Amino acid sequence: MKISKLIKKAEAFIRSDEQKRKEKKEYLKKVIKKLRKHEKQLKEEYEACSDFEKSRQLKQEIALAYNQRKKGVKMLKSLKKKKKTD
Amino acid sequence: MLRKLLLPTIFLVLGYGFWVSPDFKEIAAGVAVFLFGMLSLEEGFKAFTGGLLEKLLKKTTDTIWKSLSFGVVSTTLMQSSSLVSVITISFLSAGLISLTAGVGIIFGANLGTTTGAWLVAGLGLKVKISAYAMPMLVFGILLIFQKSKELKGMGYVLAGLGFLFLGIHYMKEGFEAFKDTIDLTAYAVEGYAGVFLFTLIGLFATVVMQSSHATLVLIITALSAQQITYENALALAIGANIGTTITAIIGSLSANVEGRRLAVAHLIFNAVTGFVAILFIYQLTGLVDAASALVGIAADNYTLKLAVFHTIFNTIGVVLMLPVIPAMVRFLERALKAAETGRRSAPKYLNEAASDLPEATLAAVRQETLHLYDNAAAIIAGGLSLKLDEIHSDKPLEEVIFKARTVIPTNIDQEYAESVKSLYADIVDFSSAYQGEMSADQVEELFRLRAAGRDIVEAIKDTKHLQKNLSRYFVADNPYIQHEYNTLRMRLASVLRELYKVRQEEKNDSVIILSLDRLRLDMEEYDHNLNHSLSSLIRQKLITGPMSVSLMNDSGYASDVTRKLVMMGEVLFSNSDLKTKNIEQSLSLDDEELTEVIQEQQAAKGERSRAS
Repeated sequence: MKISKLIKKAEAFIRSDEQKRKEKKEYLKKVIKKLRKHEKQLKEEYEACSDFEKSRQLKQEIALAYNQRKKGVKMLKSLKKKKKTD
Repeated sequence: MLRKLLLPTIFLVLGYGFWVSPDFKEIAAGVAVFLFGMLSLEEGFKAFTGGLLEKLLKKTTDTIWKSLSFGVVSTTLMQSSSLVSVITISFLSAGLISLTAGVGIIFGANLGTTTGAWLVAGLGLKVKISAYAMPMLVFGILLIFQKSKELKGMGYVLAGLGFLFLGIHYMKEGFEAFKDTIDLTAYAVEGYAGVFLFTLIGLFATVVMQSSHATLVLIITALSAQQITYENALALAIGANIGTTITAIIGSLSANVEGRRLAVAHLIFNAVTGFVAILFIYQLTGLVDAASALVGIAADNYTLKLAVFHTIFNTIGVVLMLPVIPAMVRFLERALKAAETGRRSAPKYLNEAASDLPEATLAAVRQETLHLYDNAAAIIAGGLSLKLDEIHSDKPLEEVIFKARTVIPTNIDQEYAESVKSLYADIVDFSSAYQGEMSADQVEELFRLRAAGRDIVEAIKDTKHLQKNLSRYFVADNPYIQHEYNTLRMRLASVLRELYKVRQEEKNDSVIILSLDRLRLDMEEYDHNLNHSLSSLIRQKLITGPMSVSLMNDSGYASDVTRKLVMMGEVLFSNSDLKTKNIEQSLSLDDEELTEVIQEQQAAKGERSRAS
């Protein structure tokens, strides 16, 4: 295979990789947004809740949504970073 | 026997025909090229079905009118009712759509197929379409050689259309030349005898070619060359409409009972419509004349009048049959029952028809894994000495546990062998056999589904380990150990109940799916706290050392069961698209992250208690 052909192939591969990363970022952003909204709702529910068991559960869910969101943000950052280093 | 003789007979008849008449050879070649075009077109449209079709089907088949419109539009676009019926049977077999929706689509497809007659009669005969065919073929084949799936698909569609046009051209030429040697109208039969005879000929021709579209084009080209009479052409069109059900019938042979029901519904619709059309053929002809005059079609333009006839009689069929769809569905469900295998492990959705499209294959594997979970949940409930119906009920779980104070003898090994093992093996076999045609996202989903199946199986095995001590201690005389084991039962029952609730939801978005992790968090927290409470119970000599060891091990098993069932639920109950599902999976917390959450929560709790 000629070098020019090889370069073209590599370029196409990188482009498709970049496309995938872009797509992943978009989907990730959507889910993060949903989680943020959910977390906010849970916090409001928690403030208004007087039942002990229910508020324990709500607290767990808030912690969970927060940590899942945090994980998502971290993933998003690393995706952005990858783009910069490429 | 008849089937074995059919093919050689057709070969002989065709061979003789070719020998006798070169014009007949041209017409037959035209039909062959046309059919090849249909195959190519179907291949091309399959390339574009990835994901889009599934989404469309979900959104457009919730009411009968939407299903009907979907059938009309998709058949008009793809110009193949056969492809639409094969896709419908495939999706129905995989449990993606209901029988009512399927029947609606098939009825709509019948209506959509009438656009073909309009296109050929209106455009195909007036324009020299072979001139368009050649460049289409060249560009199409060039695109087929491309690597991209989309370009390849476009190539097949373009080449398919090229072959269709070329086929029509050959048929037209053949009939024109035929006219000079033989006048086929000499064989025309008048009256009802002619109607019946030509209906049968149309039916036979469509069964052989498996395409009513091809028969219709043949009829229109023959009619335009005045090789058949207008009346006989109408009868041929009726026959073609009945004969087209053969594709659905053949497609349903490899489908499950739902697919067979749909094929019978298709047959009933087309047979009833055909019967009505034959019965009122003279009134219908009058109606066609009136309608044609109304839209400005010349009285001697028989090809367009045939298209009008085709549309009117199919519309009458839809009008007649639409109100009886619910009754028809009930009748079909009564008349065609699923074969009772007596085995709970017999697959319900894994069949060849479901393997026609990757989306249908995925849906079938998902439904079957849900079936696997249903069987497994009953075993797990039995292992906890609880009834699954009670767990799924609205009763408070405390009450359910309190009432179930006797051991329900459950032989988990036997139950596993009877209702899980072979079903799981069938799922693995099926999913391995058809993964070749899938996209990367689909293959990933298939792997997740398979992993969900493995999680289910492992959850049963963990329950088996748990069952040994649990059935001993939850009825023990020692109230402390009894209480601890009942707590364990309740926690697992609440996992099963929560999963059941989430499963019942129709729209499970990422947030609901990700919040399933709370069940794991809850169980991990319990397991974490158990160490403290156990030390205190042992110190106070309320339980023995062996009891505490058993409880610690069993709490670990309960955590494993929870983790596996939640992981399974996150895959099976999510209604998100494949790309969002990938994100859901990567955001779900792993064991280490969950432990960190627990530690954070406990640290916060400690700080609060110190502050107060």
